[in-house]
Amino acid sequence: MPKSSRGIWNGSLSFGLVNVPVSLVSSVRDLGVHFTQIHEKDGAPIDTRRFCSKEDKEVPYEQIVAGYELKKGKWVTLTDEDFEAVEPRKTRTIDIEAFVPAEQVDPIYFDHPYFLVPAGGEGGARAYRLLVRVMKDSDRLALGRFVLRTKEYLAAVHVRDDALALTTMLFHDEVRPTKGIEKAGGKTHAPSKKAVDNAVALIEELTTDWKPSRYKDRHRERLLDIIDRKRKGRTIEAPEPQEEPEPVPDLMAALEESLASARKKSRSNGRSRSRGGGGKKKSRAKAKS
Amino acid sequence: MPRSIWNGTITFGQVNVPIKLYSATESKTVHFNELHAKDKARIEHRRFCSKENKEVPYEEVVKGYEVSGGKYVVLEKEEVAAADPSGGKVVELEHFVHASEIDPVFYDHTYYVGAQDGGEDAYRLLLGALRRSERVGIGRFVFHNKEQLVALRALDGHLGLHTVRFADELVSGRDLDIPKPQKQPAKREVDMAGRLVDTLASVFDPAKYEDTYRKSVQKLIKQKAAGKEPEPPKEPSDGKPPDDLMAALEASLDA
Repeated sequence: MPKSSRGIWNGSLSFGLVNVPVSLVSSVRDLGVHFTQIHEKDGAPIDTRRFCSKEDKEVPYEQIVAGYELKKGKWVTLTDEDFEAVEPRKTRTIDIEAFVPAEQVDPIYFDHPYFLVPAGGEGGARAYRLLVRVMKDSDRLALGRFVLRTKEYLAAVHVRDDALALTTMLFHDEVRPTKGIEKAGGKTHAPSKKAVDNAVALIEELTTDWKPSRYKDRHRERLLDIIDRKRKGRTIEAPEPQEEPEPVPDLMAALEESLASARKKSRSNGRSRSRGGGGKKKSRAKAKS
Repeated sequence: MPRSIWNGTITFGQVNVPIKLYSATESKTVHFNELHAKDKARIEHRRFCSKENKEVPYEEVVKGYEVSGGKYVVLEKEEVAAADPSGGKVVELEHFVHASEIDPVFYDHTYYVGAQDGGEDAYRLLLGALRRSERVGIGRFVFHNKEQLVALRALDGHLGLHTVRFADELVSGRDLDIPKPQKQPAKREVDMAGRLVDTLASVFDPAKYEDTYRKSVQKLIKQKAAGKEPEPPKEPSDGKPPDDLMAALEASLDA
């Protein structure tokens, strides 16, 4: 379990003149299947060692600095102290600059989700609880900036599961413009009203409640299964190749056929059973983990 | 012109939409290389066998999964690839859900979706229907040798695709050890804090927030290139929690 002592960043969240000492913990678990590099011949793990390209000698970690190439072969070097001196306040403080309506922030800006855990004893815990209370029923995000490792992030603070959550965000110039991406604009490709009606009807037939636990990481499951089989000395077969579908010549016919088959399927299955509570019912599924 | 990173087909029902994917984001962090402090020569990472203490060429390196302390199951490239269906480049939409139901915490990377030649009508149809129904399509596809869960939605006049985190990857706030204060905040404090929030209320204008750290690092590089030593930093305040929460709130409102 993530504990406050394991925070990847420790500092304070500053709201007006109120400081809330906090630790940052990731809200994403790394469940990926990780491999180690192995020397095929003897099964021994591979070590990565750092070598100076000029001296052809191994270099201890303390003798390595960050270099920025101004032009070919001309380097400027920065030390850890240089980085720390760049924005000392932002490396320790998240200053809340504004509260903005959550619906105005497109998820494209969101980078990585974290939780903030209070770290400053009774005073800190009370200030933290105060912020949770104030932000809980608000549909606003608190925006601030801070430096994590050697990168500054815009961050959105909000309440999730009765705790303060922080999501790092991209800066506006890190979100690319959509200019130049084909969207089939103009009148030529405008669908008829009937086609959109049919497509919406098909989407409604295929609509279900958002139940994230329904989706399993099949890549992870299959990889672990392959490892298990290999361990037991079985052979691993290549999966069946998938076929790539051809574009349909008649979009309207494809829609009507899909709609008819989706309706038939939902009637015969009894949709409330197979679709987990019925497609049309609008319920608010909260993020569960 | 942006360059597509993947071409394939989105399917829903029997409708196929041939598409291209583009990265929607890019990091603007200043990048550095590792150098040897003494002679400013580039650092190379070399692979050594931990048993033989000898450098190992890349061709002799395989993937191992540690099953118990120091014991590895070795997999060939083809065996790792067997974890995912190969060949067809298809994003198969399995369901649609109401857009408002999905907490953005599930969204990982974002990509823009463009129409391929000959797929324009189908692209417009899907985009129009997603917009009007306010739904998001949920599907899967193999990308970077890994089957991903994805959400397809209308985004800035285009289709946008997010890779989606799995439910078991997300930590719940209930799993955290959050110390509770002995004394809850008083109603007056909550009211004052609410007023402070109101004074900071604003609309979201992304261009208002600049990455000043990036700029400072670039400035520092220039200074050092010109042979100037950077100024020592001013010590920031210590960030202690307030002894008197009410007084700090009042002072903030007066500020």
